[in-house]
Amino acid sequence: MTRFLVRKMPSLMFVLLASSVVAFALPRLAPGDVAVTLAGQDPTPAAVAAIRQQLGLNRSPVLQYFDWIVGVLHGNLGQSYVLHRSVASVIGDRIESTVELALAAALLVVVFGTTLGVLAGSTKRRWARATLDLVNSFFIAVPSFLIGLVLILVFGVLHRWLPVIGEVSVLDNPSFGIQYLILPAIALALAPAAVVARLLQTEMLSARNEDYVDLAVSKGASPSRITTRHVLRNSLGTAVVAVGLQIGHLLAGAVIIEAIFARNGLGQLAVSSVQTRDFTVLQVLILGVVFVAVLCQIFTEIGLASLDPRIRLGDQR
Amino acid sequence: MTDVPVTAGEAPGGDAPAVARRRALNPTVSRYLHAFRTPRGITGAVLLLLLAAAALLAPVLFPGGYDQQGSDALAGISAQHIFGTDEFGRDLFVRSIYGLRIDLSLILTAVPLSMAIGTVLGLTGALSERLGSGTQRLLDVIIGFPGLILGICLVSILGPGWLAIFLTILISGLPTAGRLARGAWLGQQGREYVLAARVLGVSRPQLLVRHVLPNAMDAAVVNCAVWMVVGVYIEAGLSIVGLGVQPPTPSLGVLLNSGLRFVTQSPTYILGPALLLLLLAVGFSLLSDALNEAVNRR
Repeated sequence: MTRFLVRKMPSLMFVLLASSVVAFALPRLAPGDVAVTLAGQDPTPAAVAAIRQQLGLNRSPVLQYFDWIVGVLHGNLGQSYVLHRSVASVIGDRIESTVELALAAALLVVVFGTTLGVLAGSTKRRWARATLDLVNSFFIAVPSFLIGLVLILVFGVLHRWLPVIGEVSVLDNPSFGIQYLILPAIALALAPAAVVARLLQTEMLSARNEDYVDLAVSKGASPSRITTRHVLRNSLGTAVVAVGLQIGHLLAGAVIIEAIFARNGLGQLAVSSVQTRDFTVLQVLILGVVFVAVLCQIFTEIGLASLDPRIRLGDQR
Repeated sequence: MTDVPVTAGEAPGGDAPAVARRRALNPTVSRYLHAFRTPRGITGAVLLLLLAAAALLAPVLFPGGYDQQGSDALAGISAQHIFGTDEFGRDLFVRSIYGLRIDLSLILTAVPLSMAIGTVLGLTGALSERLGSGTQRLLDVIIGFPGLILGICLVSILGPGWLAIFLTILISGLPTAGRLARGAWLGQQGREYVLAARVLGVSRPQLLVRHVLPNAMDAAVVNCAVWMVVGVYIEAGLSIVGLGVQPPTPSLGVLLNSGLRFVTQSPTYILGPALLLLLLAVGFSLLSDALNEAVNRR
């Protein structure tokens, strides 16, 4: 397992490194000068120079990058010059909302995805398979924001069953919090769940054509045992990969869903930092998303390797 | 695309009737054209043509432009305003059609360009293995920025607007196109005819253009249609969070964004733009399905 991870690490590390460089470069690529902005109206050149000196902006970019990245690694995320607070506290205020949404959605992806996938992959009735296919195709094709809009119209405007705007922390008030969470989580989860279901179904159908299934049939194994032991077991790898890869997308998709349901999460924070040009916050957020996506990828690989010894032991590539 | 000299008949494995097959049309072209003989292909094409015609003719059909204000704001659907009106009493149908113009101008330029650049990047592996895997690492970095994150980065540099969305669509399409092209190269690499060509001393660039590119073409064409839909969604996503083209210019996403703010007062506001967006997506999905089928038909 260790050797397997050692083999996988370099490319993931490269992605992290490259994204940190991109995040670092953002404010330097954007027009405008932080020091001039900070110096207020009609700044004297001396004041601007002093601020530049203070922030270390007159040193070489490479040194500045190392300063920044070492700071981030030590947990010093920097200071927001727009909100006049530390980046850590700004993010800390918002992180709960997004984590709640992502966790709820991830749970739904696993539940919906595997249920639909196993159903579609094991049923022999043509109409059932056709219906499930149609449902899956629909949710893969329709983007999360349209699903969100429909949910708002149906459950928030037409029927007023659930709140559609704003949020309540699940930790503070579980029953209200969950009501606020249901619709956004569903909107976020349906498309990834359909992707997971589709992959699982395809994998199960192809596993069913393998020789070892024929062997199991000829040995007289019951259909349900064949499905669970032979077909599903050999298809789970795909499902694990699919779920793992979709979780990174959940976080990114949360940006839109938060906007639609007016939740004050990290996605909204990212958008407002772009609008107010609050680059110190934006940099950390971008680095964070990429970091989480890479982490998901690592865990996916680990899960996959523990399910399938061929990957764990294989030396090719 | 019409003048690409293609090898379907020349590749070994394609057998005797190669000459007969070449008489009417270039075989690749006629294969793609087959997509438009299937019901799905026809429906998709007609739908897209209608939408494109409406978008193209918008200044002729609605010479008043998208910014003409009326007396009744936030009106529902009526015979006069079939999509209703917005918060300034502007007709939402007119604005949606003008919005469609922006969306089409984005995807019809960004997506084909993205596919072309991505394919070239993916095929670099055929020139030198090291170059190829290096390019793949670079494309992996793009995948590392999921969903709208790439768009957020670009908007923060360029400011919100057409160019930022254009580049977001362009860049986010590169990894998929690159992988497909690389897959085609890796798949053809070991085939006898490629080896034969190399033994005969065909240079690598020539090999690439004559043998590998035509094989990468099919996947790229289908992928292009698929990414048109993704492009529309990227525009809508960026606009919904407020980082799209800036008002008063309408795009489908911008209309959804402002419609959301009035969803309780005027629930019909978002229906029209959402419908057009859906039709656009359905059109391209049908087309990509039909192309996929036509390409895999043997």
